[in-house]
Amino acid sequence: MNKEEALQIVIDAVKEYIDDDSTTINKETILLGNNAVVDSIGLVNLIVDIEGALSEKDLEITLTSEDAMSRRKSPFRSVETLSDYIVELAN
Amino acid sequence: MIITGSRKGIGRFLAEYYLEKGITVIGCSRSESDLQHKNYEHHCLDVADEKAVQKLVRNTAKKFGKIDYLINNAGIASMNHSFLTPLSIVEKMFKTNVFGTFLFTRECGKVMSKKKFGRIVNMTTFAVPFKLEGEAVYAASKAAITVMAEALAREYAGFGITVNTVAPPAVQTDLIAHVKKDKMDKLLQRQAIHRFGEAKDVANTIDFFLRDESTMVTGQTVYLGGV
Repeated sequence: MNKEEALQIVIDAVKEYIDDDSTTINKETILLGNNAVVDSIGLVNLIVDIEGALSEKDLEITLTSEDAMSRRKSPFRSVETLSDYIVELAN
Repeated sequence: MIITGSRKGIGRFLAEYYLEKGITVIGCSRSESDLQHKNYEHHCLDVADEKAVQKLVRNTAKKFGKIDYLINNAGIASMNHSFLTPLSIVEKMFKTNVFGTFLFTRECGKVMSKKKFGRIVNMTTFAVPFKLEGEAVYAASKAAITVMAEALAREYAGFGITVNTVAPPAVQTDLIAHVKKDKMDKLLQRQAIHRFGEAKDVANTIDFFLRDESTMVTGQTVYLGGV
């Protein structure tokens, strides 16, 4: 999976989850912490949605690995960092 | 519906019971099952194998579009004095009883959350409240399941998913096949109802947990036979 495909999956999932046309979602969109477009439960839902979308493409990936949770910089910070993390896991 | 440990014992009874009610049952165990039914699928896996559990749950969700019910029935017991219990047995029991329950609950919970509906039922044991000697590890693993269910009931409430636990009364299955009669008689005396239960008693309790109307029933543990 390449970066563009991963970005598209994450952006689509965020758009569908927040369901608000007035909010622009792009690779800079923050997912964790201050200014995040989702709250903590929202992020949980989003991760489940993205895992489901990846599964639809026959990519059986678990995003919440011990590695992800223990990184000094969370891969869930933004749409871009999450996309990078997906590419890393998928390849 | 997914039922773990459906090859024999209470799990097998529950699989046949819910098939009889017209529910599609996806069962699993470490070895093959001879249960044949047009609405039954059996998968061989170790419930503590994360990849295998994910694959089964995701494939089930893809095939049927949803998973309404999960019964975490798979469990192993080893009854012995702790001085005679090797660590490998402790690890096996925790892997099957606790890790397996957690993995199926987590994966099915993800699927159920999409539909805002789900019923998860775990199995515990009266060895927990009775603190039975010789069952320290087994009881500890089941106590973990009970507490986990209580916490997950809160985590999952917003998703329309309930998590409950049932402790069968003393039921004559393989789990207690090697327990001496006088010990079982003593156990029965400690229950409010001094007789063996049956798998149908467990099914009756699970029916209550699964009902659409049981939306407010979560984080509960029912000890059949009375403790």
